[in-house]
Amino acid sequence: MLRARVASGVVGAASIAALAALVLLTLVGCTVPGGEGSASGTAAAESATPSASSPARAPVPDIPRTSASLADRPALSAPAPVRLVVPDLGIDVPIESVGLDDQGRMGLPANPAIGAWYRFGSAPGDATGSTVIAAHVDSAVYDIGPFARLAGAPAGTRVEVTTADGLVHAYAFQSTAVLPKESIDWSDAFARDGSPRLTLVTCGGEFDYDARRYLSNVIVTAIPIG
Amino acid sequence: MKKTIVAAALGAGALVAFAGAAPATAAPTDTAMLSVLHGVPGLTVDVYVNDELTLDDFEPGDLAGPLELPAGTYTVAITASDAADASSPAIGPIDLPLEGGVNYTAVAHLNEGGDPTATLFTNDTSQMAAGQGRLTVRHVAAAPAVDVLAGGSPVITALANPAEAKLDLAAGTVSAAVAATGTTEPVLGPADVEVAEGANTIVYAWGSLEADNLDLAVQTVAVAGMNSSPDGVPAGSAGMVATNGQDSGAPVWAAVIGASLLAAVALLAGVARRRSAARAER
Repeated sequence: MLRARVASGVVGAASIAALAALVLLTLVGCTVPGGEGSASGTAAAESATPSASSPARAPVPDIPRTSASLADRPALSAPAPVRLVVPDLGIDVPIESVGLDDQGRMGLPANPAIGAWYRFGSAPGDATGSTVIAAHVDSAVYDIGPFARLAGAPAGTRVEVTTADGLVHAYAFQSTAVLPKESIDWSDAFARDGSPRLTLVTCGGEFDYDARRYLSNVIVTAIPIG
Repeated sequence: MKKTIVAAALGAGALVAFAGAAPATAAPTDTAMLSVLHGVPGLTVDVYVNDELTLDDFEPGDLAGPLELPAGTYTVAITASDAADASSPAIGPIDLPLEGGVNYTAVAHLNEGGDPTATLFTNDTSQMAAGQGRLTVRHVAAAPAVDVLAGGSPVITALANPAEAKLDLAAGTVSAAVAATGTTEPVLGPADVEVAEGANTIVYAWGSLEADNLDLAVQTVAVAGMNSSPDGVPAGSAGMVATNGQDSGAPVWAAVIGASLLAAVALLAGVARRRSAARAER
């Protein structure tokens, strides 16, 4: 039997066929060459599994299989973003991969002219979730950064993210929000499920001159375009 | 809580298919997730679930699923791959009681003495802190109790077949090895294992020490709700683009400037007075 690390795409229809067979006790035959396409619910379909050719036996559901060998483990994350360009705003910044700071917040490089990608979240090549790229809006050392121009940009503004594999992923601004920090549900911005999207984050709004911090975040949501 | 499967093994097509086939009346927590690992060396098998052939010619070292199944008890029998039906299984039949909302892996493996058996494990999908990953180690090999070494030091000790041990640690790559308990000479590894953030990375030690075919298998379980988000995004420290230039610290400057103006006015006034006085004196 073919080792099925071949195709995650086979999974869908196959899983469903298995489910149906187990649950509904219906005979579900399902030939899914290449794995794309919808699950067939009809009983007559020819099975891809050898033993199912026996007329006395129900077709066997094609449940997805992968090699569990450590050596065969697929990469856990898609290629990291390395560059972000917003032509209309004159933004063209390199991107570093970052994690958390010592307070459990996203840790950004001090230089506002360097973008930070949250490496534990989704990447542009992932099928689901929000790719989060943030940068400081300003710095007493480095002055005002390019992300300061995000807040005023209209919906539809094009943004391009280049990943380490050289691919360019294009998005269009969908919405821009300036939200008080205490009101933000970060699980939305950092969600790993849902349709793929790009979330750009910087600071804005009023500034607390004593604590040296902005009171709001500027959050731009952008969606993939052709 | 909504449980959406985001495991890499599932493509978008699978999600669509699941959505289409889920019973209309079933809440998400009425279903269980089940994966099946084949950890018996040298034996290609068929797996029957409720007497239906479900995995045909299932090969050692392979992982099947995950399948979304309605909660309930399923009877599993594992036969040689040339068996005509489930009547004379090599392993089982065993009953797998699956609870809704729980993620399981059923493992066909050898017991410590080398006989085929099967164990149902529950995969921990509880939430962990941002930046953390969960490492679970399961001993399903025909071998005595072992220690698990990370970077050469034991982090799990006296793990016996078919037990598991787990820990949450900073996500990243761990150099893991398995040694007979109380020793540090690896019988398996060291091997680099990437512990994914917000996910459960499950490592199986399987095979047989005596037959010299011990091996590591790995499974990644990631479902929505396991990971945590950062606590914020501090992205500015200078106030250069603040919308409140007149507030907060601004009054200080206003006060300084104001005081200066007053002083200047007073000074000018004083000068004027003196001039007036001078003139008057004149």
